[in-house]
Amino acid sequence: MSTIPPHDRFLQEYVRDELRALNAHLPRQRRPLAELLREEHPHVTCNDGGTHLFRKRELEYLAGLCDEEGRQALLLPILIEVGRGPDEAVIPCVAGVSEELLSRVLDMALRADRGRVTIYRPHLALLRRRLKTTTQYVFLQGPDE
Amino acid sequence: MPQQMIKVRPTKTELMRLKRRRSLAEKVHKIIKDRLSILTMEFVETARESVEGRRRLLDQLSQGYRAMSIAAGYHGYLALEKELVEAEADLKLATGTRNVAGVRIPAFELAAAGSAVGRYSLADTSACVDQAAELARHCLEAIAELAESQRGLELLGLEISRTKRISNALEYVMIPALKATMKYLHMKFEERDREEKVRLKRVKVLLQQK
Repeated sequence: MSTIPPHDRFLQEYVRDELRALNAHLPRQRRPLAELLREEHPHVTCNDGGTHLFRKRELEYLAGLCDEEGRQALLLPILIEVGRGPDEAVIPCVAGVSEELLSRVLDMALRADRGRVTIYRPHLALLRRRLKTTTQYVFLQGPDE
Repeated sequence: MPQQMIKVRPTKTELMRLKRRRSLAEKVHKIIKDRLSILTMEFVETARESVEGRRRLLDQLSQGYRAMSIAAGYHGYLALEKELVEAEADLKLATGTRNVAGVRIPAFELAAAGSAVGRYSLADTSACVDQAAELARHCLEAIAELAESQRGLELLGLEISRTKRISNALEYVMIPALKATMKYLHMKFEERDREEKVRLKRVKVLLQQK
């Protein structure tokens, strides 16, 4: 028999469900930009079974920012981690995402710290405005205070 | 306003449970607040996009109708209609979804059906018809974009109000109630300690009197 009281169980399930619901849109498999550029309807399949459609305009914009090797390496959608700290978001510099690419998108100098680029809310809004379909949020449970 | 307390037995075990519940509730609240802030940011962006899209659509519609009216004036309605019937083409709209912080927003993309220019007789028409056809295609693209942002705005608004209710319930009801109950339990324990001390003192005095 479980010793967890009903209220606690409800809250624990809520945290789990909330995180699951928030992250349900994450792709099952990310796909390289070069491959998406060749498709008529570029998309990825999400964990919840839905499809996430990319705007061709955005793909072409990203293609203009990197060379052929970069297009092969860049896996889309780019994931933005939220919940690590107040008013900040973190973009891991993996799978073709480099600080140079992000710097070009945001028109500002960025520096990666331990393979991660930290951006703040105004820059996040700008990034989402430019790459609305090619970026996705990942919600993480922040550190305990 | 006095905070409503949770009915619990005044024991240390209950206090520990309450502490755990409070930390969990605060964790949930933090996640919800993060989500709310992201949703609000997206809502503002979508609202801006929607306003721009509406303005662009109105501009393009007005340009398109002007070009159409010039073409009709130049060729006559009947001749123009005959040419346009021949140029009719099926539209292909790719649909999918986009998920923003747990909200599924529809995404529409008008497939490049190619320009209507060339589907009608170029010998019998003028550049006015070409221009009107091109502007009409831009109008359709703008309509698809506006539909996407408009629906996104509605869905984000609904989700914001739902999330705000949960956040407020946690912030103003649940967490304060847990805090008030914990405070009450602390006071109760202190009271018990004091009673215990007084009792011991009384026993000591009674023993000394004997």
